[in-house]
Amino acid sequence: MNRIPRQSTPTASRPSIAHLCAFLLLTLTTSLLHADPVDFVREVRPLLEEHCLRCHGPEKQKSGYRIDVKSIALTGGESHAPNIVPGDTARSPLLTFIAGSDPDLRMPPKGDLLSPAQQQILSRWIAEGAHWPEEASAKIAAPTDWWSLRPLQKTAPPKGASHPIDAFVAERLQRENLAASPRADAATLCRRLYFDLTGLPPSPEQLDAFLSDPSPNAFARLADELLASPRYGERWARHWLDVVHYGDTHGYDKDKPRLNAWPYRDYVIRSLNADKPYAQFVREQIAGDVLFPNSTDGLEALGFLAAGPWDFIGHAEVPETKTDGKIARHLDRDDMVANTIGTFCATTVHCAQCHNHKFDPIPQEDYYAFQAVFAALDRTDVRYFDDPALTAAYRPLPALQRKAADRVAALQKDLEKDAGPELAKIDAALKAARQPGTAKGRPEYGYHSSIEKTQERTKWVQVDLGRTVPIQRIVFTACDDDFNHIGPGFGFPVRYKLEISDDPDFARDVHLLMDRTGSDQANPGTTPQTAEAQGAQARYIRMTATKLAPRKDDFIFALAELEAFDESGANLALGGRVTSLDSIESGQRWSRKNLTDGISPIKSTTTAKTVAQLEKERTELLLAKATPKIRADLDAAKAEQARLTEKMKTFPPGKTAYVGAIHYGTGSFKGTGPDDGKPRPIFLLARGQVTQPGREVAPGALSALHFQPARFALDPAAPESARRAALAEWIAHPENPLTWRTIVNRVWHYHFGAGLVETPGDFGRNGALPSHPELLEWLASEFRDSGGSLKALHRLIVTSAVYQQASIARPDAQARDANNRLLWRQNRRKLEAEAVRDATLAASGALDLTMGGPGWQDFVVERPEHSPHYRYDLHDPADPKCHRRAVYRFAVRSQTQPWLTSLDCADPSMRVDRRNESLSALQALALLNDGFILFQSSTLAARALRDTAAPGDADPKAAVSDTQVRRAFRLAISREPSMQELSQLTTYARQHGLPATCRLLLNLNEFSFVD
Amino acid sequence: MHSSPFHHAQHPAFTRTSRRDFLWQSGLGLGGIALASLCARDAHAQTPAAPRPPQFGRAKRVVQFFMAGAASHLDLFDFKPALIQHDGKSSDFGEPVEAFQNGLGPWLKPVWEFKPQGQCGKPLSEPVAALGSVVDQMAFIHNMVSKSGVHSAATLLQATGFQLPGFPGAGCWVSYGMGSLNDNLPTFVVMPDHRGYGSNGVKNWDSAFLPAEHSGTVLYPGTENPVANLFPHKAGSFLTQQADTDARSLLASLNRTHAQPREGDPRLEGRIRSYELAARMQLAAPEALGLQKEPAHVLKRYGLDGGQREWPKEINDAEESFFFAQKCLAARRLLERGVRFIQIWSGNDNGFPRRNWDSHEDVRRDHGPLATGMARGCAAFIEDLRERGLLEDTVILWTTEFGRMPSSQGGKGRDHNPFVFTNWLCGGGIRGGITHGESDQWGYKPLDRKNPTLVYDVHATILHLLGIDHTQLTIRHNGIDRRLTDVHGHVISPLLA
Repeated sequence: MNRIPRQSTPTASRPSIAHLCAFLLLTLTTSLLHADPVDFVREVRPLLEEHCLRCHGPEKQKSGYRIDVKSIALTGGESHAPNIVPGDTARSPLLTFIAGSDPDLRMPPKGDLLSPAQQQILSRWIAEGAHWPEEASAKIAAPTDWWSLRPLQKTAPPKGASHPIDAFVAERLQRENLAASPRADAATLCRRLYFDLTGLPPSPEQLDAFLSDPSPNAFARLADELLASPRYGERWARHWLDVVHYGDTHGYDKDKPRLNAWPYRDYVIRSLNADKPYAQFVREQIAGDVLFPNSTDGLEALGFLAAGPWDFIGHAEVPETKTDGKIARHLDRDDMVANTIGTFCATTVHCAQCHNHKFDPIPQEDYYAFQAVFAALDRTDVRYFDDPALTAAYRPLPALQRKAADRVAALQKDLEKDAGPELAKIDAALKAARQPGTAKGRPEYGYHSSIEKTQERTKWVQVDLGRTVPIQRIVFTACDDDFNHIGPGFGFPVRYKLEISDDPDFARDVHLLMDRTGSDQANPGTTPQTAEAQGAQARYIRMTATKLAPRKDDFIFALAELEAFDESGANLALGGRVTSLDSIESGQRWSRKNLTDGISPIKSTTTAKTVAQLEKERTELLLAKATPKIRADLDAAKAEQARLTEKMKTFPPGKTAYVGAIHYGTGSFKGTGPDDGKPRPIFLLARGQVTQPGREVAPGALSALHFQPARFALDPAAPESARRAALAEWIAHPENPLTWRTIVNRVWHYHFGAGLVETPGDFGRNGALPSHPELLEWLASEFRDSGGSLKALHRLIVTSAVYQQASIARPDAQARDANNRLLWRQNRRKLEAEAVRDATLAASGALDLTMGGPGWQDFVVERPEHSPHYRYDLHDPADPKCHRRAVYRFAVRSQTQPWLTSLDCADPSMRVDRRNESLSALQALALLNDGFILFQSSTLAARALRDTAAPGDADPKAAVSDTQVRRAFRLAISREPSMQELSQLTTYARQHGLPATCRLLLNLNEFSFVD
Repeated sequence: MHSSPFHHAQHPAFTRTSRRDFLWQSGLGLGGIALASLCARDAHAQTPAAPRPPQFGRAKRVVQFFMAGAASHLDLFDFKPALIQHDGKSSDFGEPVEAFQNGLGPWLKPVWEFKPQGQCGKPLSEPVAALGSVVDQMAFIHNMVSKSGVHSAATLLQATGFQLPGFPGAGCWVSYGMGSLNDNLPTFVVMPDHRGYGSNGVKNWDSAFLPAEHSGTVLYPGTENPVANLFPHKAGSFLTQQADTDARSLLASLNRTHAQPREGDPRLEGRIRSYELAARMQLAAPEALGLQKEPAHVLKRYGLDGGQREWPKEINDAEESFFFAQKCLAARRLLERGVRFIQIWSGNDNGFPRRNWDSHEDVRRDHGPLATGMARGCAAFIEDLRERGLLEDTVILWTTEFGRMPSSQGGKGRDHNPFVFTNWLCGGGIRGGITHGESDQWGYKPLDRKNPTLVYDVHATILHLLGIDHTQLTIRHNGIDRRLTDVHGHVISPLLA
């Protein structure tokens, strides 16, 4: 019966592949009827090793497939899984691949195929049941069996030292036969603690006070004092802002400023100073709007979600329907996901975007479950009020108003269809009328200052909006006057700035919107100039010319029109009262009131008809043919629009913050607001390609953790905020082992320069292992169980003997543990860029401790209307506005602050868990020659002089004394100079002056390192 | 015989010492060491019988020309007779196309004439005809493909290999992999357009997660302050030359006293040495940028004999030629003095009036002057390197973020074309006078759509020429062993001489 017919019958159809295989198999089994079955180890494995293992083995697992691990080999294969079906050759795609009939699916993809004989071996092996002895399979650990994924295990500290941290560390050192280092001297400890907790050096007086305190509790008392200081929050917020990649501009192309990002920065500082329980700190930043609805903290905290860069073009100029628009939004959510899970859980979930995580048990679906959490969000300015009820009431109004405007536009569009050729004529005339031209249709030219003989005069003109209001943008347009053949751009200043304030005198609370005082500007003609205000609030707008426009043999400042637009596009400045330093007030042409009369050259026309007249005619034409119903609809829509505008005016000024929230759209950018915040559907993307969406994924978290279900049990109709709330609760859950380990390790990292886990952002298999696992477990549990107080954690750490050890390396220990992983000493630390800057200002006495508010800007912005150029080189280092702490700096992404960057400042475009530490010639040049250091060298010298001046000491030419040098040294280095140091420095100072000596002090290694 | 399971190669993460650790231990690597390249060469040294792959390690230096705003392949290098034939007819791509703006107007023929150049007969358009003198050294890739049609993302992709900010520029990787060839100048120099930065600013060349010393150093030849902080800011008017010199020696002495009881911390000595290097750089940088010291015939070749002058307001040939050539000549002098990687930009941001290659409105108006200046400068530069024997071991890459559409936007401009564009390479082991990879008849997509060339392949090829296996040059960051070529890239062998 097993005989194979020699010929098929003529009527039989062509055999299928399966038939052929069966045929082949039959033939083989027949011909080898009594041969031994295929031996996996002897016959199969060498083939797989030779041809497949390079891409599907321990090194690489293309398509997540491994041919050396039995369980994966027999079940894996992505869309073709399983690749091998024991006993069924027809359903085992592996055989199709190696046969090479489909060039896109052949294996190996390049080079020779397996020989027919080799293919037969594999085919027979599968046919015989793919027998694979367990011991011949490579072993891989259960992927979820990994230290950071296991529940927290709190063990009691070992016997011995009374301080738990000391007990854990000593036990380990003992095991390794290493001795701890002695306690550092008091001055060293004092400087170390000041920098660690406040980021500033102790003043000589603070140091003396500590050194003269004989109490055994002196150090703990100092720690409490520093933790209570507002400087603590500023210092540790800077660390936090590194991790969450906070910045004050969008980044990418046209790197626009984010004028309202700073409320989040202030929120972090405030929360740390208030020692907010860590779980609350977590929950606020992900879902503060729903979990803490009655606080402004709950809203400002959402700046966390919006902290990272944003692709303006990819969102605002490319719609979501296009591939590039989809990619931009996908990458935007990716940033939110990576930021959230990286920051709080030290997990590299972003690695699972294109495929399952290669090292950690994170399936691709988990990654998209996180994306689904943020699927409704965008980054946007949100207006809010101290009264949360007002916030809630205001929230939908701008969108409703925009809807009403759209309705008006749509109705008008309908009318246009019926308007006939007459409309085209009017529209053409309107277009022409709107062109900037040299002709002047209207005699009301604008504002004109009095005439000066010199160009370098400062003159201002300002508009009163009547009340404090949020302003979106300010547009100002130059005049057009043929006087001296000048024409368009007449009187437009060569250098100027634009500011807003609530103070009519612009003496305080001045917000600089545009600064073009740093260099001469090309005359724009009558092209309107725009300054973005992004909802900044003010009553007065002032334009100040610092270099006047040339006229004939004299100089003036003239301006045709100044407009200020609100969110709805209404011109708030129209008819506003105008004041100025001076004005010629000459006839109809030149008058202050012309600045806000709505008439500018751009809106003039050669014909007698103005834009306003033409628009009126247009409306009349449209309405002439409208049915009563359409007229009624249009009236109703216009009334609704007006009603909403009026309603919005009834709200107090309020505040604005840039946060992760539902976006109601601006211009061509549509958020999810118009769909009532309905989350965008999130699909599993094959290879991370937006063009290859797979199944839809529901919101959830890591499936490798089991303390609660990995997919959130949410009503499909639940608002998007429910997704974020669920994620916030998942992260802040007491049984989430990652959260608590992550934060205590981060805190440890900043106290020792290295974490117990050296990779604070990666607790996966690609990260480091904990050096002291039991200590980490104990700290994490203790921190969680005692209420999540960061200040208590700091206190615990700094009061340990481990922390207080000297940092001197000992050759014996160095030879055994060069990287000090076992903590046989404290690590000497190089100060971060901001600490170097703040310490310089502290030493010179210039440090301004004003907290909060918009960031200081140490650059001049050129060309703000398109792609702002941030010119740090034009900044004056003497400007006291920039002598506040570095954490309050306005951080630009595309043009990072060059001086701080050379000192390894964190790059706000990327999440920074650990700062790089480098030394370079450019760093040396930055500290020797930058305007900041040189100006502060003079300031420090002046302070040293002032501090040491005896009454009657008035001769500035007197030789530099060693008292002055000593004072400067103590201010900069926080210790007494040695006799030799003092004498060398005094000799130098007598020759080259005290400022040059201070520059030298700020360049000492000791200034930049903390023992 | 095979009783054991598969041989487990250890996961690379556990075996690789981080290069940074190594640098610390070896004293910071401020001098001229080429670690990764040595490592890569070692891999071949282990198998002496194995033939060296062609041109591996032939080059020592790289020059990258970057045309910000997206230069049109169709109007410069990639000649398409079909567009002349069908000029003005409504475009038909045979498939739906997503344009960035409104770029699907009628077919638009190249705005200039093309003429065959050199022995290879490669057709070049009028404004880039100056490159005819070196076209036999150039290799064109006409099937480059981008992953984004948005300037910022696409510029980052060409500059860093990733579409997001936060990745090191190609020059940073080369600096990290090969170290410096000098002890008084930066390893990686960037010369931006004289009007300012392009899309993404410094994110195209800063070191991101690599140590800061690998960052591109911005340099403006021909200006008062060519390098930031090279000399004291005016706030330091109290400082005399002597005070500066004396400060250096006293600083070193006090720092050594400080370091003495703190043995075993190489950073302290490293920082002392960084000040010595800074002092050398203060002498070396102005000398290297002393273009006026060049003989008259060289200045003439670069078109710099006329010097700096007042330029018209509108974009124009003379100004573009002057500033581009100035950078090219500075580049040659820097290469001679051991700078490893130089990036030269043409074009500022995408604003108005157009000051870069983003010719949506009028290709002739913007591309004309930009291309004329670029071609004159590049040709003089390549000729100069060739005569001095520097072209042998300097690889040159000309790139841009993407191409432009074969159809117009209704007028004289072209929209973005991320689907195909052109790169060219030259020198350092590149086979000259050839084209690798064609675009289709319109210059819309690659002729062979299944086998396009991506930036990864170009980067892999350049690293190969430098003697680096692109898959081996890695650093661990946020849980991933990052590479310049991400997880992609193949060396383009047909380009190798």
